[in-house]
Amino acid sequence: MRLRFLLFSLWLAVFAGACAHAAVAVVIVSSERSPAYVEAAEALVSELERGGLSRYDMLQLTALEWAAAGPLAPKLFIALGTEAASALAKSELRAPVLSTLLPRSSFERVLRKSGRKSSSQFSALYLDQPLSRQLELIRLALPTARRVGVLWGPESQAQAPALKTLAQASGLDLIEATVGHDELLFSSLKSVLEDADLLLAVADPQLYNSSSIQNILLASFRAKVPLVAFSPAYVRAGALLALHVTPTQIGLQAATIARGVLLGKALSANPIYSLDFSVTVNEHVARSLGLTLDADALRARLRSREGLL
Amino acid sequence: MKMVDIRTRMLLAALLPVTLIAILLSGVFLASRFGDLGEAYSQRARSLARQLATASEYGLFSDNITHLQTIANGALRESDVRSVAIVNAQGDVLVFAGKAGFNPPPVLTRQEDEKFDPVKRTDLLLQPVTASQVKLDDLFEVNAAGAEAPSPLLGHVLIEFSRDALFQRERDMLLLGLAVTLACLLFAGFLAVRLGRGVIHPILRVSRIIERIGRGELSARATVLPGDPLRDLQQGLNLMAERLESGRDELEQRVAMATLELRQKKEEAETATLAKSRFLAAASHDLRQPTHALGMFVARLAQLPHDAQTSQLIGNLEASVQALQDLLDGLLDISRLEAKAVQVQLRPFALAELFDQLQHGLAISAVEKGLLLRVRPTAVWVMSDPALLHRILLNLVVNALRYTRQGSVLLACRVAADDQHVRIEVWDSGIGIAPEHHEAIFKEFYQVGNTERDRGKGLGLGLNIVERTAQLLGHRLQMHSTLGAGTRFSLLVPLVPLGAAMAVPSPQPVETFNNLAGLVVLVVEDDALAREGLVSLLKSWGYVVGVADGLSAALSQLEAGLIPDVIVSDYRLRDDENGIETIRQLRTKAGWLIPACLMSGDTDAGLMQAAKDASLTLLHKPVRPAKLRSLIRRLAADVQASGADLV
Repeated sequence: MRLRFLLFSLWLAVFAGACAHAAVAVVIVSSERSPAYVEAAEALVSELERGGLSRYDMLQLTALEWAAAGPLAPKLFIALGTEAASALAKSELRAPVLSTLLPRSSFERVLRKSGRKSSSQFSALYLDQPLSRQLELIRLALPTARRVGVLWGPESQAQAPALKTLAQASGLDLIEATVGHDELLFSSLKSVLEDADLLLAVADPQLYNSSSIQNILLASFRAKVPLVAFSPAYVRAGALLALHVTPTQIGLQAATIARGVLLGKALSANPIYSLDFSVTVNEHVARSLGLTLDADALRARLRSREGLL
Repeated sequence: MKMVDIRTRMLLAALLPVTLIAILLSGVFLASRFGDLGEAYSQRARSLARQLATASEYGLFSDNITHLQTIANGALRESDVRSVAIVNAQGDVLVFAGKAGFNPPPVLTRQEDEKFDPVKRTDLLLQPVTASQVKLDDLFEVNAAGAEAPSPLLGHVLIEFSRDALFQRERDMLLLGLAVTLACLLFAGFLAVRLGRGVIHPILRVSRIIERIGRGELSARATVLPGDPLRDLQQGLNLMAERLESGRDELEQRVAMATLELRQKKEEAETATLAKSRFLAAASHDLRQPTHALGMFVARLAQLPHDAQTSQLIGNLEASVQALQDLLDGLLDISRLEAKAVQVQLRPFALAELFDQLQHGLAISAVEKGLLLRVRPTAVWVMSDPALLHRILLNLVVNALRYTRQGSVLLACRVAADDQHVRIEVWDSGIGIAPEHHEAIFKEFYQVGNTERDRGKGLGLGLNIVERTAQLLGHRLQMHSTLGAGTRFSLLVPLVPLGAAMAVPSPQPVETFNNLAGLVVLVVEDDALAREGLVSLLKSWGYVVGVADGLSAALSQLEAGLIPDVIVSDYRLRDDENGIETIRQLRTKAGWLIPACLMSGDTDAGLMQAAKDASLTLLHKPVRPAKLRSLIRRLAADVQASGADLV
């Protein structure tokens, strides 16, 4: 039995080596090999394996390796991260491309730059969370908050009308400010913080980045306005809570989609948001604001609201 | 000087290394401390600037002027901070705190910068303020360019630091260092002096002892102290001093003994000389009286008519008496010279007179011997005592005549080479003196080739008198003689310039001898024989003679009506009377200053002085009749010339 397994494994290895490039079903291109991408890729590969796909049907490359690789003919390309997405976008491919582990603004930028349109051949699974889910979490976590402050940057401004609609539907007031290119952030932030009960951060690297986050958090803390962010890193830096999807969750969902594509199903023409999500709470900040929040409970309630359970 | 030298050297030896080390260490430590201070200062400044930058990050981000002003004011409270400025990214000065006169902000970069103003002594530190980075490691953080943007520059913090305090601290430290160095040196100097004293003092002590020993203080001893570093040296010194002292003492003792012996010998010799002199004096005195009388008698005898045979006998008698008298005169001269009773009376006078006298006095005796006495005329004046010089020359010429059997005797003078002296020479063509006798001839009673002591050849006193007299006058006497070829004596006498000589009055004209027959002479003489001889002689000269054997007799004579023209008195009279007193009383009695002369057989210097004090001429016995006669004549002539003075 043991011997047979060994012989089988040996055969598999020889076979895989012989037709590694020729007969892969899925090519996974990662922007880099940082932990988040590795985690997502690992979840994706494991899930596909669990679904019956051999590990040799999948080829993992980084964006740099992709540029050097020869012609491939898989059934699906999965791009992990913005860089990988833009690299694939530049290539003429006969298989559909699923871009994932990238925020919506990045995907839209990739589309703009490559002149593509979102289609079943080039679709995305967004990293950021739908605005409705975010508003829902706000209502769950901070029931007394009415006025939601939002800063719009050049890359996020497009979502402003959608949020406005959603807010009105949820009975929340939006306190908005727009920060243009090379404009100082603080005056807008100040005006928002003066009136808002909380600040909802929308992913826009022009506004929220490692240089600015400290001062934004400081300003919001001084104004006693909690920040609701889109990444656990912000929570670690001092945001009250964040609604986000983990790389594993993304990987799992991407695997599900890939399985469908391999079975002959087309990609959704419109990019989709992740189904699963996580909530992270900074309990120190919550305590200093006089709040008691339980991340798991919040996630569970949010999931039940969305009927996911 | 030596003391100072040793002390200075000790001090130098102790202080020089200490000074060098102190200066070196102070220098090294000060330099290192200055470096530390400067380092600390700049680190503090930079760290303050960084703190300020961090603190003002949010203020700059939020444009919170109040906040920034608080920060700036707070920074100003730090020492050394002169001014603080916070500039935003656009270069606008948002906040300024501190003293005015801040330079406009220079071009701002992302680099930390530091500018030193040497005039104001300030450092301007530029610290860029950037937003602090929070690592998000986020999938969202990819900007449009696709590359990570550098952290945005929020602004700058400019701090002006003053170095005054730093300089002040450095100065304080320098002063402290100097003070410590100085204190070290003082302490080292104190120690050197204290420790050096332990060495210097013994050295000085030893050197003082050596100095004392060097001065001849051989009893000086170093005190040997138990802990003395120079103990051995001092002990050695003491030993040396002891040896020196004992050696010297021994030497002194020997010298003292030798001196004592010498003194004893000398005293013996002096005693012997004294005895001789006493004997001579006594003998001459005892001889004088009879010789004196004999002379008188012979002179009187010669005046009487005699037959030829008797006359010849009398002539011989006279010659014998003459020789006796010469001997006594010579002895008298010697004793006077020995007693230093001869008074030298130097005066300028013409030598020609002296020569004339000698020629006149001696020509006859020369002719009698068949010799030619030549006296070369001269016009020089000399500075001397004419009487003493006369005696010297007389002796020399007489000697020359005596020792020359044939030929001539020459008396001459010539000016010496130095123009200051005149050399008087007496030449003879006599027998000469052998070289072995040259020194001895000047001794008393020494005669060459007269062992039988022939009277006719003199007594041997002449040259002795000549030598002594020449010494007394300070005239150099020389003798050149060759046996059988004659002798030459020369005497060096100071010359008197002719002009000075002329000023001296010429001697009084030779007195005219009046006929003094009938002159009354009072003779006071206690010796009967001498009195008899003198009286008969005086009577033979035609004088009226009064005779007394003492004062009372003489006074009686005056009372009896005798009026003497001249008194001739013996000095030593009976009953302790003396001639001087007698003459005085007689003069008092007579009421006028009777001319008088003294006669004495004593050659005592005291008597000569007493006679001189009393202005009385002293004739020494035996008195030559001719001399007496000439004296009486002179005394009488004086009375006639000046008249009788009242007492």
